Amino acid sequence: MIKMPDNSFDQCLKCNTCVVSCPVSNHSLEFGGPKHLGPELKRLIENQEIIDDPSVEYCTLCGNCDISCPEGVHLTHFIIEGKATHSMASGPRFRDKILSNAELVGKLASTFAPITNSLMNTKLVRVAMQKNMGIHAKRRFPKYEFKNFNRRYKKKTANTERKVAYFSGCYATYNAPGVAESFVDVMGFNGIEVAIPDQHCCGIPMLANGRIDQAKKNAVYNVNHLLEYTRKGYDVVLTCSSCTLALKKEYITLDIDGAEELSEHVYDAGEYLRILNEKGQMNTNLASIDSKSGYFAPCHMKAQGIGNPAMDILELIPNYQIQDLAAGCCGQCGTFGFKEEKFDLSLKMGTSMQESVVELDPDYTVTECGMCKNQLDQMTDKPVKHPMQILSEAYQKAGNS
Amino acid sequence: MYDYIVIGQGLTGMLSAIWAREKGASVALISQGEGRIVQSTGVMDLIPAEKGNIVKMMEGYQNHSWDKTLIKNGIDRFKTLLSRLGYPYYGDIYNPIEIITGSGHLKSTGLYPETIHPIPEKGHVMVIGFQEIADFQPEYIKGNLRKERPGLNISTINISLGKRALRTMTQLDAARMLEDRENREYVLKQIKEQLSVQMTTSIDLFIFPSSLGILQWKMIIEEFKEKLQAQVTEAVGMPPNATAIRLYEGLKKEISRQGVRLYADTQVIGSKVENDIVKSIIIKNTVSRELKAKTYVMATGGVLGGGFEWTTKGLKEKVLGVKINQNGEYLSPIKNVYTVGASQGIDVTKHGITGGVFSILSSYAAIEQAVKEEKVYDQNAG
Repeated sequence: MIKMPDNSFDQCLKCNTCVVSCPVSNHSLEFGGPKHLGPELKRLIENQEIIDDPSVEYCTLCGNCDISCPEGVHLTHFIIEGKATHSMASGPRFRDKILSNAELVGKLASTFAPITNSLMNTKLVRVAMQKNMGIHAKRRFPKYEFKNFNRRYKKKTANTERKVAYFSGCYATYNAPGVAESFVDVMGFNGIEVAIPDQHCCGIPMLANGRIDQAKKNAVYNVNHLLEYTRKGYDVVLTCSSCTLALKKEYITLDIDGAEELSEHVYDAGEYLRILNEKGQMNTNLASIDSKSGYFAPCHMKAQGIGNPAMDILELIPNYQIQDLAAGCCGQCGTFGFKEEKFDLSLKMGTSMQESVVELDPDYTVTECGMCKNQLDQMTDKPVKHPMQILSEAYQKAGNS
Repeated sequence: MYDYIVIGQGLTGMLSAIWAREKGASVALISQGEGRIVQSTGVMDLIPAEKGNIVKMMEGYQNHSWDKTLIKNGIDRFKTLLSRLGYPYYGDIYNPIEIITGSGHLKSTGLYPETIHPIPEKGHVMVIGFQEIADFQPEYIKGNLRKERPGLNISTINISLGKRALRTMTQLDAARMLEDRENREYVLKQIKEQLSVQMTTSIDLFIFPSSLGILQWKMIIEEFKEKLQAQVTEAVGMPPNATAIRLYEGLKKEISRQGVRLYADTQVIGSKVENDIVKSIIIKNTVSRELKAKTYVMATGGVLGGGFEWTTKGLKEKVLGVKINQNGEYLSPIKNVYTVGASQGIDVTKHGITGGVFSILSSYAAIEQAVKEEKVYDQNAG
């Protein structure tokens, strides 16, 4: 099939809905904004000389512009091109190369985990990092685990009727293997075996830092390896919203061969359980959990257009109370919030999240995204849990095996 | 399976979703982009671009059986909701007021927030413009206002917000800037200086762009009134304007807080209809999926909202894929579908839109009726 170039910028009416919905534009005048950096710039440079607008660095790729556009313009697609142009024009910063290589950092940091974690909590080291690398000294870092998920779980095939291929992503692999294990447990309680295919970082952090070629390489690798599974009847399920969005949507936008076929088989973990439940195939033997939590919806979860699967599933737990914090973007936005020059803006963007947590005063907060969790940890004093951790607890308490 | 699926996220979609949720129903809301509420003025007109009250409006819609009680309850419900959301609306739909728009023309409106003040026939008004906001030109506004209010003494002042932006600044940018005390003080200081240069005293009303804060509008209005010793109003229009953005953000937050399930960036590409009942709809984000509800609310906004399209063969319904007549009414009625706002067809729109009051009342009436009819259905089933 011949792919037509994306000319959706022609549909832009300049109505400004994207600018209204852009968390960065709402807190900074230094950013050209999605309308300008997306369709306007694209119109200007189509078949003409490329223009490098450095303010494209401020885009976090949260995707709220795409969600908001009433005309179906793929703004982030054009902005990703702009980021690549800018990176080429100015040369990628060493810092951005490191930050966007979440997988390599994860491998190294988890190998030396006890040292890494204590170094990252040493003020002197952090001051030096800010000075030499431009990573803000006050930005909280997620912990790295020596026993990362790759070291804990090596099953490459599943033998149950329903088979899940789990794309764990860098965060659950290196920082939160507990989340990955909870997911495997939850699937187990539902009689589903989980295989872990060979995989690389989904590529979203690379796209956000202008490294489109590297992102495409990873995408090709992932699509090829995952298709081997889906063609054998596996469903691809994920616990990270950003990786999920990459596999469902971004790989198609990047025009990766096989991406459309793959996307048909990709599910967020909550979404997958909801399907099981609707078919009457979900194990609903869940013990009561008497707590009140606040759900924080990651932008990349909203962008999938699947409602609110985490709440749908968690509400099946007896006595469990959960309310949507309805708080917009967290402001961490992956690598964005680590950067020295973006740190203050990142915190400003997070104020509506912080205020909503204070207002609803839950026992803890719930979110799928590891980076949203990082900002919640930075700006609130409540614990943060992944939906699969809560669900796994409810299954265990009910005496499932 | 939801109790309700609402399609469209404009004023009608969000109100319908909230009100269905208040009845205890499970609700999903499907949207392809944010609704046109973002481009609206945020005030609730009766007949778009015309004068007239609710009585005149109802005369135009002969086919609506809304009685006085329904009208009163619907408007009260809206006012109660917006008060609870911290952005109360005032006004009387039997006695609309005349307010100013960003072009200096007057328009008649039924319900409006506290940041809006009616334009008097006499007295001295001062139009304040921000140099950075190209959409709002005080001298142009003065020219148009003078034609409509010959008895009014109109002056203008141009001041600076004191900040540069790397994009075209909008009224929304100004509104967010004015949330900072420092910026407000800078603005007020310039106004006072200009007033003393012009040797102007006793201003009755200051007219600002629609930009007097977002979350802190109440405090900002009070502060401006006190420091300027006069009434203050926002001039609505020129999106994105703060008057509408406060309403939009308030309702948007409320639908999530109430647990409405949002299917964003999602297109409805068809429906399965059997025996005059919609069994399911087909939605598409990247992959097509089927979604079911007992009741469907069409809040797709007519031609402007994308629910209808004018084609060479006439008007077409774009969402469920059902056949309509040239007024936009369904050829064969579907029992579990309720249309609200401009989805009711072109008979209820003027210049492509319905007034806000019609949107409120049709959303209210639809949900009340849907709940009643579903009860009847349940009784029959039992």
